[in-house]
Amino acid sequence: MTAHDRQTLLVGIAMAIIIGGLVSYFASDRPDGLEKTQEDLGAAEPPDAGLEAPPILFNEYSLKWLGEGFWGNAAAGVGGSLLVLGILLGLGHLLNRRRAPAEAGGRSTSPPA
Amino acid sequence: MHIGSGFLSPTVWGAAAAVSGAALAAALATAGRRLDDRKVPLMGVMGAFVFAAQMVNFPILPGTSGHLGGGFLLGVLLGAPLGIIVMASILVVQSLVFQDGGVEALGANILVMGIIPCLLGTILRVLWQKRQRPSGWLDLAAVVGGVAAVLAGATVVILLLWRSGALPAKIGLWEAMAVMDSVHLAIGVVEGAVSALVVRFVMATRREAVLGTLPAAAGACAKEASA
Repeated sequence: MTAHDRQTLLVGIAMAIIIGGLVSYFASDRPDGLEKTQEDLGAAEPPDAGLEAPPILFNEYSLKWLGEGFWGNAAAGVGGSLLVLGILLGLGHLLNRRRAPAEAGGRSTSPPA
Repeated sequence: MHIGSGFLSPTVWGAAAAVSGAALAAALATAGRRLDDRKVPLMGVMGAFVFAAQMVNFPILPGTSGHLGGGFLLGVLLGAPLGIIVMASILVVQSLVFQDGGVEALGANILVMGIIPCLLGTILRVLWQKRQRPSGWLDLAAVVGGVAAVLAGATVVILLLWRSGALPAKIGLWEAMAVMDSVHLAIGVVEGAVSALVVRFVMATRREAVLGTLPAAAGACAKEASA
């Protein structure tokens, strides 16, 4: 990893903390575009039970142990962003290695996507 | 715009899951060729940004909020295959960890917030690859494209709900689309403006990773990357 990559990752972590952890606390709690449309059309109640994931760690966007206040939301925002970051770095690493083992770590040999 | 659990009929969510599954498989199969190790950090960071940004609902109309979708932006900066992979990862985490979006509706949500906007974003990506430098026209195209991506996704959501019988019988399809699209026109303008700003910023700072070409004025970062 170059200093350039480290800088990119630091910007990502900073964004996770500032946007996910801080700014999101001030998010509007009004229904979003789809929820509002479903309310207006009288279709807000689902016809079936469907399948919703169990709230194991997080109860929607708040960490269960911390509740719905600032810190619960911050844990969800930072935790979720970093989880996505981690999954994608892992996935990217695997895909990159699968491409051409001999070339792994090589730079700028692939044509622009 | 996440479709919650219980709204889609098995036929509809099954069909949407099949389409999204096929697209995701194709994206994973072709992604390796488009990756190089400059792109992996960008991919991770853009994913974290879109996840965080989606939590920030902004008030938009009386009693209504909107949030960034991000699929269009990812299509521009990463191209369709990588963008779809990033968006699918975000939606899986949102659905399984945060109960945002029904588990059975995951394929549908990947279709409307991932595949459709990412493909539209890829059109703007091609324009960037042709012109190579920022311009007001590309900014305008980003705003218009962002609006189009949100409206296209919103329209398909209504189609899926309608086919599922999740809209009251007395409401016509066109009426439902009009309600959905008028709200999402306003949200789309914000999506387009944010996409245009973020594309400008990332092109100014990480153009080599985005387009595979060096910026005209090679800075310290570019020298270091080629060393």
